Parts: sequence; C-alpha cells; structure tokens
Amino acid sequence: MLIRLAGGHVVDPANGRDGVGDIWIRDSRIIEPPQGETPDEVFDLSGKIVMAGAIDIHSHIAGGNVNTARLLLPENHRAHVARPAETPLSTAGWSTFETGCRYAAMGFTTVIEPAVPTHTALHSHLELADIPILDKGILTVVGEDDFLLNLLREGGNRTAIADYLASALAQTKGLGIKSINPGGSVAFADNARTYDLDDMVPFYGVTSRQITEALQQGVMDIGIAHPLHLHTNNLGIGGNVETALRTLQAANGKPLHLAHLQFYAYGKEGKRGFSSAAAQLADAVNKTPNVTIDVGSVMFRQTVTISCDVIRQFASIGTAKPRKSMIYDGEVNGAGVVPYLYKAESYYNAVQWAAGLELFLLITNPAQVFFTTDHPNGAPYTTYPDLFALIMSRDLRNKVIADLPKEAIEQTTLPSIAREYTFSEIATMTRVAPAKLLGLKDRGHLKAGALADIAVYDDDPADRARAFRHAHLVFKDGDLVVRDGKITHYRTGRALTVQPTYDSNIDRRLSRYYDEAYGLSRDLFKVPEQAIGVDHAFEEVACQG
Amino acid sequence: MTAYVDGTAVPLDAAAAEAARLLEGARLPLVAGLQTDVAGTRAAILLAEKLRGAYDHAASDALLRDVGVLRQAGRMVTTANDVRLRADLILLVGPRLTALWPDLAERLALGASPRLSADKAARKIFWLGGETGAAAAIGATEISVGANQLPLAVAGLRAAVAGRKSRLGGALAKSLAELAETLKAAHFGAAVWSAESLDELTIEALSGLVLDLNQKTRFTNLAFGPAQNGVGVVQTSGWMTGFPVRTGFGRGYPEHDIWRFDANRLVDTGEADAALWISAYGAAAPNWRRKVPFIALAAPGTTFPYPPKVQIEVGTPGRDHDAIEWAREVASFTATSAAAASDAPRVDAVIGLISEHLKGN
Repeated sequence: MLIRLAGGHVVDPANGRDGVGDIWIRDSRIIEPPQGETPDEVFDLSGKIVMAGAIDIHSHIAGGNVNTARLLLPENHRAHVARPAETPLSTAGWSTFETGCRYAAMGFTTVIEPAVPTHTALHSHLELADIPILDKGILTVVGEDDFLLNLLREGGNRTAIADYLASALAQTKGLGIKSINPGGSVAFADNARTYDLDDMVPFYGVTSRQITEALQQGVMDIGIAHPLHLHTNNLGIGGNVETALRTLQAANGKPLHLAHLQFYAYGKEGKRGFSSAAAQLADAVNKTPNVTIDVGSVMFRQTVTISCDVIRQFASIGTAKPRKSMIYDGEVNGAGVVPYLYKAESYYNAVQWAAGLELFLLITNPAQVFFTTDHPNGAPYTTYPDLFALIMSRDLRNKVIADLPKEAIEQTTLPSIAREYTFSEIATMTRVAPAKLLGLKDRGHLKAGALADIAVYDDDPADRARAFRHAHLVFKDGDLVVRDGKITHYRTGRALTVQPTYDSNIDRRLSRYYDEAYGLSRDLFKVPEQAIGVDHAFEEVACQG
Repeated sequence: MTAYVDGTAVPLDAAAAEAARLLEGARLPLVAGLQTDVAGTRAAILLAEKLRGAYDHAASDALLRDVGVLRQAGRMVTTANDVRLRADLILLVGPRLTALWPDLAERLALGASPRLSADKAARKIFWLGGETGAAAAIGATEISVGANQLPLAVAGLRAAVAGRKSRLGGALAKSLAELAETLKAAHFGAAVWSAESLDELTIEALSGLVLDLNQKTRFTNLAFGPAQNGVGVVQTSGWMTGFPVRTGFGRGYPEHDIWRFDANRLVDTGEADAALWISAYGAAAPNWRRKVPFIALAAPGTTFPYPPKVQIEVGTPGRDHDAIEWAREVASFTATSAAAASDAPRVDAVIGLISEHLKGN
C-alpha cells in the first residue's frame, strides 16, 4: 500500500521541517518520495497540520489500581454516544476500549502506563492488550521491596542492584524504572504519616535519597534509554517546592525524570500559606539540563487520584469527593485511589491550575518539559485538547483567569506570561522529546524509515481544542484508524519492552528469597510472552549499549 | 470432546450453529454462570455485547456484596503476602473461612513470626464468629458469637475501639473491650474475611473499624473472594465495560444494575428468553425455577435440572489448557500451565465459533 499525504503543513522539528510538503507511506513505514510510482491513495491535506503520532509518557490507563477506581466509582461512567457501531465496546465509558478510541482520536499513538508494581504486571498487560490501536509500555515500580532494601542495607552493591533492575524489567516486561516516594510504602506500613527525602526507611538504615541515587545509577548501568522516573516526596503540600529543588540537586548532574512537577510547585505565601512557586521551580529546571520533567497539569472537573504514593493518598482521604477511598498496602508497594473534584472557585485548585501552566510556559526548552495531566490525577487525558489550547493562547488563558479567585491568581505569575506555544514546540514536546526519552528511534518524527504513526489536524486558531480533540486523520503503522475524529476500525497494539542483559545469578537469589519469604515461586509473578493471547503482543526496544 | 443438540451427539460446528441460532433469535439473551478464565470471560462479554444481551456470574451474590460496600464506603486492603510478612495481629472475622480457603493458615504462615515485623514476637491471632473449634485448629483465640450476633459484635467492637458505648453486654462486651485494646496496640494488624460469609452491614462496620484503627496505628483488611477466577471475572468486566458483572447492553452501551441483570431473576421472570450457561471449572448447574432454552458450555458430567438445548463439553482452565486466572495467593492474575493438557475445547474458542455463526457477523 502506497499512500501520499499531499500538501499539508508538515511540522517535524526532529528533521527541521516546518512548512508545506508531502509525506509518503509504504505499508507501515514512512518512505522517501518514490520515483515514478503512482500512490494507491492520495490525501489532499492543504491547510492541515501534519505531525508524527503523539506519545504520552505518563498516564495511568491500566492495571489493578485503575480498575479499582472503575469499580469504586460507577457513577463516573457516563454513557457515551456510540462512535462506530461495529467496534466492540466502543460505547463503554472509561474502559480499555474507550481509552484506545479517545487517545487515537486525539492523534496519540503511544501511551506509557507509569506505575506498575512488580507483583501485578500481568494484570496491567492484560488491560493494555485490550486497549485498541495504541502501542503501550509500562514503567516498573521499584524501591519498596524487602529484597532490594536489603541489598541497599548491605552496602548497595552496584552490580547486584543493576542486575535486580534488569531482572525486574524482564519479569514485568517493562520499558523503564519508576520509583514513588522511595521508601514511603515501607514507612507507612511502620505508621509514618509523612516522609521526606532524607528520612530513614524504618529498619533498613537507608534514606529516600539513597534509594533514589542507587536506582538512578542502576538504571544508567543497565543501559536503557529512559532515566529513573521519579515521583519524589511531599507531593501536594504547601511549601513543597523546597523538596523539589532538593530533588533536582540530588540528581547530581545525572539523568533523571521528575514526574508531575506541578504537584511540587507550591510555596507558602499568602494568607492561606499556599502559593505558586512554579516560576522559581521552572528557573531551577532551566538550570538543570540533566533533568526532564512532566507537568501533571490540573484542570477543573471531577476526577479520581490514583497513586502508589500511599502516604500521600492516605493523607488525602479526608478531602475525597465523593467521600470514599481505597487505600492499599501490599508486599511490594502501597497505593491509594481517592476521588477528587477540582473546582474553579477553589483558591487551592486555582493556584494548582496556574502553577501547571506556569511550568509549561516558563521552562524554556520544550524538550525538557513533557505534556501530562498525570491522568487522571490532575485531570483526565480527555482534557488534553483544552490544555493544548491554553498553552497556545494567552487570550484564552486570560479568559479563564477572569473567572478564578483573584487572591489565588495573585499568588502566581501567570497573567504576566506572554508566551504562546507554536505547533513546532508542541511537536517537540509531545513527539520528538518523548521518543528520545523512551529510546524509540523510529517514532516521534517523520523521516523516511520512521513508523508511519501520523496525526493530521485542522489548523483552526479560533478553536484549537476542537482540532486536537478530533484529529482530521490518524495513521497507526500506516493504517488509517481515525477519519474526522471518528475511529474507523480497531487494530491490535503492542507493548514496548526493554531487555537489558544481566547476570542471572540475581534470579537464583530472588527465587530463593521468594521461596523463603512468600513460600511461592517467583515464576507466579512473571509475565509470560504467550499469556496475552495475541501475536506480537510485545516489541523490544533496543538498549543504548 | 462432545457436543449435543437436544441430547443427540453432533459435530462441534453444528452445535455452535444451533447455539448461534438460539441466541440470535432471543429478545433478551443472557450469559450466565461465567465460571471461566480471562480469555473465556473476554469472549463471553464481547458476545453479550454483540447480542445486546446481559451477563452475570454464578457467585455474584458474594462478589457484589464485596464490591457493593467498597463503592459505598471505600476500604483499606492488602494482600495475603503482606499479611504473611508483616502482620503482628490477625483478626479473622466470620464463619467458614478455612473451608472457603483451605490453605489459609499455611498461606498466611499463621504459626510463624512475621518476617518484617520489628519485634519478631509471635503473632496474636483471634477469630471472631468462627465455628466452634475452628479457631483452635489454627492456633487462634476463639471469640464465640452466634451467627446472627456477628453484625452486632463487629459494630460493638468498632464502638469499643472508638471509646463509644454499645448495647452489647455480658461476657461478649467484656471480651470485645479487651480485644479492642489489643487491636489498638498492634503495629500492623489485619482483619481477614470473605464476603462469602459476611453480610453488607458487617463488611461496612469492619471497613469502618479498620479506618478508625488507622487514626493511631496501622491496620488493614485481607478480603478474599470466591475461588475459580470469580474475582478475575469482576476485574475483567471492570476494564472491559467499566462495571462489574450484572451488566447489560440492551440500549447499545453497558448499563450495570444488580437487580435488573440478576441472571436468576431474568430467567425466573421470563425476561430472558435464551441463555448461555458457562461452567468450565466443575459440574455446576444453574438453579433456575423457570425453563428457558439454554446452551451449556460446561465441564463433562454436569447434571442439569432440565436438559439444555445445546450442550458442549469444555476443558477446565489450568488443567486441560493454559489459563490466566485470578490467584488469591497473590491477589492478582497469574498464568497457569495446563496440568494435564487435552483437546477439550476452551470456552473462548467455542464462543468464537458461535460468534462466527451469528448472521449479523
């Protein structure tokens, strides 16, 4: 199948393109314009924006905690108008099927589920396999497991830690390593109610900072592309910018990804002791090029927070709306599911909303800041189109600001910021940089040889959100899956994995540990290749070497 | 491998064709039983959607009691492994727990000190409302309560922990008051129970009790569900439709209603005019009071209250074929290899065959 996308405005910053031109697709790949061949299909894209498919690096879309949220909140499911009648379960609210359809309609073709504990990875992969169209990946959560903490207590043998991480990736079929308030679940089991960067993990004699440093080094040692993905301490608390600044320093000049930074961009100014410190934090990020961040923006609406930061989630249950929460302990990681309503008339929520936008607008390099709402924690991913519109238009921001509590906005710098994102910056932030961060060489750009994951949008300055919500066309692997914002058909996506080599001695040690501690085979916690029940369920991504 | 239509052996494909004809001709086709692995569940729910029918599970009463309280009140929970490693106090609540989970005492290593507890002392183990003698069999302290007194006892315990008065008196009140103090002194305690042997009020009181205890110390619940992938069916239903079982597709999108889509009610009132009964784990038959023409995908040897129109004998997940199932040992899904692989057809394969015969396909 040979396809020509003719005359669109091609926005491909990875290859320096930002102007009218053609893109050619043969089967699943982008190719150079072929000589003397007639395309099987031509799409006239004059006046349209053509980008690579978008990549979301941090969105809680699948797994035990997400499913708990579904079961906890049946009232959150709205019946949606049927899209294509012939695609199974396309009408199910907040289901895996819905997730694939809605993301694809926005031009997203790869989404990463960022919090999969080592003991429940099979569940996450089963759900991911039921998300149509998209390619997926998981980040494997480590840092609370007794075996690893014992390694650290015994002096943190660097080789053993690297082997442990590589083995955890193999066991869970992960794409990267995540740590969440490192040591916090263990501290909570010991009845801690707060937990900071330099607090000691009870019994193990190591601090959160030491766990972070060891994991950061371990991830570098196994040679995977994605640096340690860190959800640091003290999320959501007034004055926690100080923790974020210390975490930036704790990276010690080495690669680190700091997740949903908006939730750490809070000062203690104002009558209520809660202000935006996003400007200060953005300045620090600008001076710390070894660190990437994603924003985790807040938007005003009902949502549910889903997090393995069990200390934080337990502390939040008093603010749950509706007033019911699920708090999960668990042998390798805690978690909590706490519903929440972000309100435009709330002082605190307005500060949070503004702080997210300030981070977007004040971090100068669009390859250092990633586009997320920490779905669904700051807002559901379905609000992305509105968020794109906000960072692209100062007028639009001012319209929203006009309806927010004045005293809240006074505690931010947002009204003074003139910056408006260009399509090229959007493409860098949502295509080029995510592909690089995750080591996906044939994604995020439109050069010959790239996977033909392509999103085509209307160029409508009057309503950017509509254009981003309903892409004009979306191709996945060269297959047209969205036309005028509507799904044409399902296809099966793949889960992206890395498989760094390691000394299998660690597997023997781990097997002995599981036999002794749990009286269970460690094999029970593995994700077997064939378990997913579809061909090509997984695709291996090369390590950096 | 054996398939029958009206009691006569036929090729599998002919049975599937007859099943498709029956389901497609129904006004409200019902998928019931649903005792199968993840692949079978997925296939069954997709079939129900295609038919605009409804689906339910044989163990729904217990499964939905659990989910019902969860979605009203929330909960704190953990895994058996966490209890095994960490709990210095274990409070079993309700009857039949070791019958419902025969390996429970061994799985929780009740006789051993918790590996990750600070003081390495022996665990304190209590059983509130178990059968007489059951506590002693696992080395627990028995707090005996009559079956119909259990909700009151749990509420009384919650009141005692919170320092409130309750109407309970006598020896029970005294032992609950002592127990309350012991619970408050635990480092990391766990209430162990199953919705199969508790009612909603007791579950809700227990959830509240555990939350209250967490104001000062750490405490959590280990709630285990029915065996044979019942919890897995609820989970699979959750990600596919957003809802647990007792969900219907009559309006073209999933709707969940525990009364409307109760399989027994649908059959007994005549609302469902055809049914697909799935029971791959053992010889479990429906106990419908009214006759409805039905297709049975069941383990060999199942005795039905009245003969199915179509019967297809299927393999048992994890024995005849590899399977993904919910394992309460790990509180998540695990992959099981066939213990004695055979050619017996899988539920998902048979449903696939039925779907191919649907005219609308």
